[in-house]
Amino acid sequence: MVFEIGRVCVKIAGRDSNRRCVIVDTVDDKIVLIDGDVRRRKCNVIHLEPLDSVIKIKKGASHSEVAKEFKDLGFNVWETKPRKTAERPKKVRKVKEKPAEEEKPAKKKAEKPKKEEKKEEAEETELEKIAETEEKPKKKTVKKVAKKE
Amino acid sequence: MVAGRYKSRTLRRKKVKTPGGRLTTHYLKRKPKKAHCAECGVVLSGVPRERPYIMRNLGKTKKRPERPFGGMLCSKCSRDLIKKQARK
Repeated sequence: MVFEIGRVCVKIAGRDSNRRCVIVDTVDDKIVLIDGDVRRRKCNVIHLEPLDSVIKIKKGASHSEVAKEFKDLGFNVWETKPRKTAERPKKVRKVKEKPAEEEKPAKKKAEKPKKEEKKEEAEETELEKIAETEEKPKKKTVKKVAKKE
Repeated sequence: MVAGRYKSRTLRRKKVKTPGGRLTTHYLKRKPKKAHCAECGVVLSGVPRERPYIMRNLGKTKKRPERPFGGMLCSKCSRDLIKKQARK
């Protein structure tokens, strides 16, 4: 039997082709369990090319045992790290304070002065913006003069 | 009469029925041909045939199979190559 337990092979087909693997267990005449530089999974014998060397492994050896043998021979080993799922940021809903109905007339009075205040603030911000834009070109000219000197 | 620039055979003609009920011809650009295996010349699977402006925006995994020599050799030829290298 060529495809015996412990036989080192090279995978021919698939996305992990051209990588070395060991036969860990036989499921069928045609299907075999592999491990090594490849994810631990079943594989058809047609997709394996056996090499000369045979490793001493028990039937159904774990990944760590196979990894030891491979590292002694100097081959790479495929290792999958578990994904770190980042904590999703939890949305905190803004709690609207619902006041009682008695405060409605008081609200209306409060709204009107608020609107006036908002208009004043808007005017102020506009003035500030204009002032800023006036200042900026002045600063630029100062810099240019300094460079020329 | 058809304008001279539409007589070229690099454009393909497509008959289109307009909402107004008229049958007109639209002149569309042709797609490039399918990719072939570098060794045996068989048509490669998993490689789309699109114009460059579409291929540029596709991701790398969408343009070729996820396999050594994918997009270059067919599966059979890549298998034979790997066998040869292993037997040396």
